[in-house]
Amino acid sequence: MNRKKILVATAALSIGALALTACSSGGSSTGDSSSAAAGGNVSMTFWHNSTTGEGKAYWESTVADFEAANPGVKITIQAIQNEDMDGKLQTALNSGDAPDIFMARGGGKLSDVVTAGQAQEVVVDDATKAAVGDAAFSAFTVDGKVYGMPMSILPGGIYYSKDLFAKAGITGTPATIADLEADVQKLKDAGIAPIALGAKDAWPAAHWYYFFALRACSQETLDKATADKKFDDACWTKAGDDLAAFSKTNPFNDGFLTTSAQQGAGSSAGLLANHQAAMELMGAWDPGVIASLTPDTKPLADLGWFPFPAIDGGKGEAGAMMGGLDGFSCSKAAPAECSKFLNFAMQKKYQEGYANAFHTLPASKDAQSVVTEGALVDVLASYNKAPYVSLWLDTLYGQNVGNALNAGVVNLLAGQADSASIVKSVVDAAAKE
Amino acid sequence: MSDNSGEGKLAVTSSPEGLSAAGDGARKASSPARRAGRTGWGQRLEIALLAGPAMVMFITFVMLPVLLAAYYGFFKWKGFGPPTNFVGLQNYLTIFKDSTFHDALMHNAVIVVLSLLLQGPAAVLLALLLNQKMRGRSVVRVLIFVPYVVSEVIVGTGWSLMLQTNGAINDLLIKAGLPSWTVDWLSDPKIAIWSLMLIITWKYIGFAVILFLAGLQGIPQELFEAAAIDGASYWQTQRRITLPLLGPTIRIWAFLSMIGSLQLFDLVYIIWGQYVAATAGTSTMATYMVVNGRNAANYGFGNAVAVVLFVISLILALTYQRFVLNRDTEGALTEGKK
Repeated sequence: MNRKKILVATAALSIGALALTACSSGGSSTGDSSSAAAGGNVSMTFWHNSTTGEGKAYWESTVADFEAANPGVKITIQAIQNEDMDGKLQTALNSGDAPDIFMARGGGKLSDVVTAGQAQEVVVDDATKAAVGDAAFSAFTVDGKVYGMPMSILPGGIYYSKDLFAKAGITGTPATIADLEADVQKLKDAGIAPIALGAKDAWPAAHWYYFFALRACSQETLDKATADKKFDDACWTKAGDDLAAFSKTNPFNDGFLTTSAQQGAGSSAGLLANHQAAMELMGAWDPGVIASLTPDTKPLADLGWFPFPAIDGGKGEAGAMMGGLDGFSCSKAAPAECSKFLNFAMQKKYQEGYANAFHTLPASKDAQSVVTEGALVDVLASYNKAPYVSLWLDTLYGQNVGNALNAGVVNLLAGQADSASIVKSVVDAAAKE
Repeated sequence: MSDNSGEGKLAVTSSPEGLSAAGDGARKASSPARRAGRTGWGQRLEIALLAGPAMVMFITFVMLPVLLAAYYGFFKWKGFGPPTNFVGLQNYLTIFKDSTFHDALMHNAVIVVLSLLLQGPAAVLLALLLNQKMRGRSVVRVLIFVPYVVSEVIVGTGWSLMLQTNGAINDLLIKAGLPSWTVDWLSDPKIAIWSLMLIITWKYIGFAVILFLAGLQGIPQELFEAAAIDGASYWQTQRRITLPLLGPTIRIWAFLSMIGSLQLFDLVYIIWGQYVAATAGTSTMATYMVVNGRNAANYGFGNAVAVVLFVISLILALTYQRFVLNRDTEGALTEGKK
């Protein structure tokens, strides 16, 4: 009797184990795109990257408003730390267990997702189309179809502390790299770390190379590299040489190679937030990140902004900017309510709320009047005048090339490689793709 | 395992036969009775049912992923949908030609050797010390063991904060009047590997000490008493009795330490991040795999790296088993066939 019980229990256990494994491999058929027509209950999952503070609260209230306006629709929010997002999303998309609404930044990365049939076209209503304009949608367009909704425009440039500049006796902002180098020296003489750099995360270091490349390479060269990924134009090496020469002046904070970008007071954004360093090259999300790291978690009062300085002998047009967009896409199996939600969040009221919560620039032009922080007003003015805006090169060229660029730049800044090795690491990466 | 082999050795060296005979007797007494009441098929069914769940789990979550990794390693694969671009051995050729992989492999080798050289002797000394009756012994034991229990993420974050150029350790050196001693602990390639070894030793020595203490418990007190009567000095006793009888434990620990060092990932990844590990000279095969596989979205290539890492670990494990562990496990593995 006893033994029989044991046998039954064991059998049950092994069946349970089988069921468990069956579940884990067979989960790819979740998601139900027909639910909208049925008019029944629709539930969606939503991944974004604001794990704390105002941004998190913004999404919670926006989702609550949408649910109230659309009875029967339920959105489950999951906030994921920014540096973890890419990997988690890739795993989720690949296991067929993708979130219905997920954060995306357009360019080559999104294009890979679309090519693999993992995202669906976003239906943009006319009001949103007019408010955003074609430029922002172009980053999310693959083969003429829109696969993402831009929420904010994030052009890059140099953020700086006006107080520390004044303390070092700097008047005005540098217009050329030579000016910048002179300012770096003045800051060092005043005992201030000139430029904060979170090279541990690599992409902030790579941004320096991208901006030198933006100034050195023409728009045609940047576009051509998107297609052939050969990087054989001399401007790519020039950008590396310019960066190497600049880094020889030791402009970055001590230990920048092991400084992270956005996590905690010791990160590069934290150094700026606590007046430990004077400048940082970043995108327009930086005022928000800095605000969350100041001692009183308020926006930094003396934060200023200037565009990346001009270089000698470059082919890039003066005033051209590099930047990114934060947006959201709908996965293949998402219900039609996904597009509806994204259009909902693009209304003026919510875009203004977004700009306020994230201390950044809204994608909707209707909402731009809400931007009042000094640094952001300057970014916006430059953005609206820019002859063209290139996507961050790692976003533009896709994850594989982006990864190689990041690694190459870190090697260069660590003094272990020259500009040719950046190009070489891209070619090596292509061999792995 | 160490207790078993200690017992085996014991029987040979000093023959307190009562112990092992009693053990054998107990085993013999029970086994014929069990065997008598059952047919071969019943027994097989029972084995299948009892081992079944574990086998299913093992095959699904260990064997299958290994086989799948080997399969994916033959493709160029972005990680979306089923792999289609078959490239044969090209990923493996790329790995073997890649100088950053050579660097990572070399760092792994250095970590394996330094772990053995630094932790082994230190742990033996600590275990000998802590095996004696002294005041506050259990407090010290706990203190040494605590780092092993703490998660690698916390250890990595804590140490990286302390070792940063503007971190606590340099600050302490400055306050102690030694500003010239401050260095870039993490990104200077000459120093970073030693910083890593310091952290590894601090974290894992507790595990070695606990193992050795357990091994020391298995050495019968009579041997020490006999040595004392014969007039052996403290060091003679340790060298002639303790160390040889602790041998099996040390060899098992060395095995675990080597496999762990080959697969080192979390500490390096947390302290040095995705790319700086390579320039600081602390990258490992595992960090190489994540950076060039997952982070670059080259999943086929990443799987090939995983296979290489697996094969290297397997070769080391089998070689060690064959030439070093052989004598310790001989009895344990062959007993069942008698």
